[in-house]
Amino acid sequence: MNSRVLVVTSGKGGVGKTTTSANLGTALAMMDKKVVLIDTDIGLRNLDVVMGLENRIVFDIVDVVHGNCKLKQALIRDKRFENMCLLPAAQTKEKTAVTPHQMKNLTNELRGEFDFIVVDCPAGIEQGFKNAIAGADSAIVVATPEVSSVRDADRIIGLLEAAGLADSRLIINRIRPKMVKKGDMMDITDIIDILSIELLGVVPEDECIVISTNRGEPAVLGNVSRAGEAYRRIARRILGEEVPLYSLDESSNLMTRFKRMLKLAR
Amino acid sequence: MSIELLANGLNDEVVIDLSAFSSLEEMKTQLDKSLAIVHKYGKETQVCIDIGLKRLTERQLRELENVVGENGLYLKELRNSESPANRDPSKETVISPHSQLVEGSETVMICRHLRSGQKFFTRGNIVILGDINPGAEIIAGGNILVMGALRGMAHAGAMGDEESVIAAFRLNPTQLRIANHITRAPDGDRFEVNNPELARIRAGKVVIERLKI
Repeated sequence: MNSRVLVVTSGKGGVGKTTTSANLGTALAMMDKKVVLIDTDIGLRNLDVVMGLENRIVFDIVDVVHGNCKLKQALIRDKRFENMCLLPAAQTKEKTAVTPHQMKNLTNELRGEFDFIVVDCPAGIEQGFKNAIAGADSAIVVATPEVSSVRDADRIIGLLEAAGLADSRLIINRIRPKMVKKGDMMDITDIIDILSIELLGVVPEDECIVISTNRGEPAVLGNVSRAGEAYRRIARRILGEEVPLYSLDESSNLMTRFKRMLKLAR
Repeated sequence: MSIELLANGLNDEVVIDLSAFSSLEEMKTQLDKSLAIVHKYGKETQVCIDIGLKRLTERQLRELENVVGENGLYLKELRNSESPANRDPSKETVISPHSQLVEGSETVMICRHLRSGQKFFTRGNIVILGDINPGAEIIAGGNILVMGALRGMAHAGAMGDEESVIAAFRLNPTQLRIANHITRAPDGDRFEVNNPELARIRAGKVVIERLKI
């Protein structure tokens, strides 16, 4: 089986690593792939909440690496998709409870069972980051169109290259087409110029994300969310399909939507 | 009248046998006498009283408790012992001094909120004057009483005691565990209950009921 370990990372906090992990994982599961999500943010776990699986946690990643339970016991099966599991982080421990070596063994063990292993990385470049990238085949770098986020993403890409992960790909998250048009926000091309890595996708700013996060239901599950559509496209690109980037123009322009409704446009 | 010293694992316990006396007055005088001996004899601070087959009212219990207190000791529990052979588990009652909630082992009181990532463990009971937030864990060998909102994870009877209970002013946990039973709220519809509730095991299942005091 040809399984892939993808680490979702960013350096900066709050850019949407966890949201991206949850949505990409769910989107891949929707395409009948066997997916496991690993939360490596020990002490500040969130992925379980975003997935709505918090109340099912009995064992966590620290229990697994310390041998308190079997890996199978700690894996939480998703309530919507049979073929998706979550390995939650511990909340009452620290990042140092797991070593990069243990993470590598863990991901290798999971390779036998799953097509995709999505690792949600914590913010920062310390132990948690080192753990998260330890067993990864490739990285997905999430950045928002802000100077600070792009700066941190650049640092992360450098560290990933140093760790031997050369083929990182970029997701630009929370972009606001209107602001980009007005020139108030960094453009996609500006960001690519600086980071010079392959662009995997663009996700527009979307209020639906807030709602879906609070409900514990990833946005890709619904059809209404623009961000959800963007994540579905990214998942297809990960699977190697040629899908155009989510067009920012069609997304928020009321006039185009109206025209589309009247079948005037396209 | 006899004073038994039971070497019971880690803790020696003093059991005062009052089963031979029938009236409360007699019991009180005897108790007073034997407590004086206990006080002289040892370092114990907790005593148990064995009253045989008799039953005491809450008020009589308080009086005995007062006698123990006056001697600078603490009443651990009240026992109704019979000859071990004809013990009927349904008839056997251990009336503890205060109520069903407090039983024997030590109780710890926490006067603050437990926030995400904080964890508290004790072998005895826990009383919390505060909330348990999601992501916090509270684990007790005995019972758990939350004088606030329980929104995190609580595990009572962690050493396997199925009689343990979890009570909270607002019982809204991510997960509840009693002994080796694990439960969570059903998916979907949530409804807010705005009064104190109590979780315990009945017929092998964790059930939540209104807390009646």
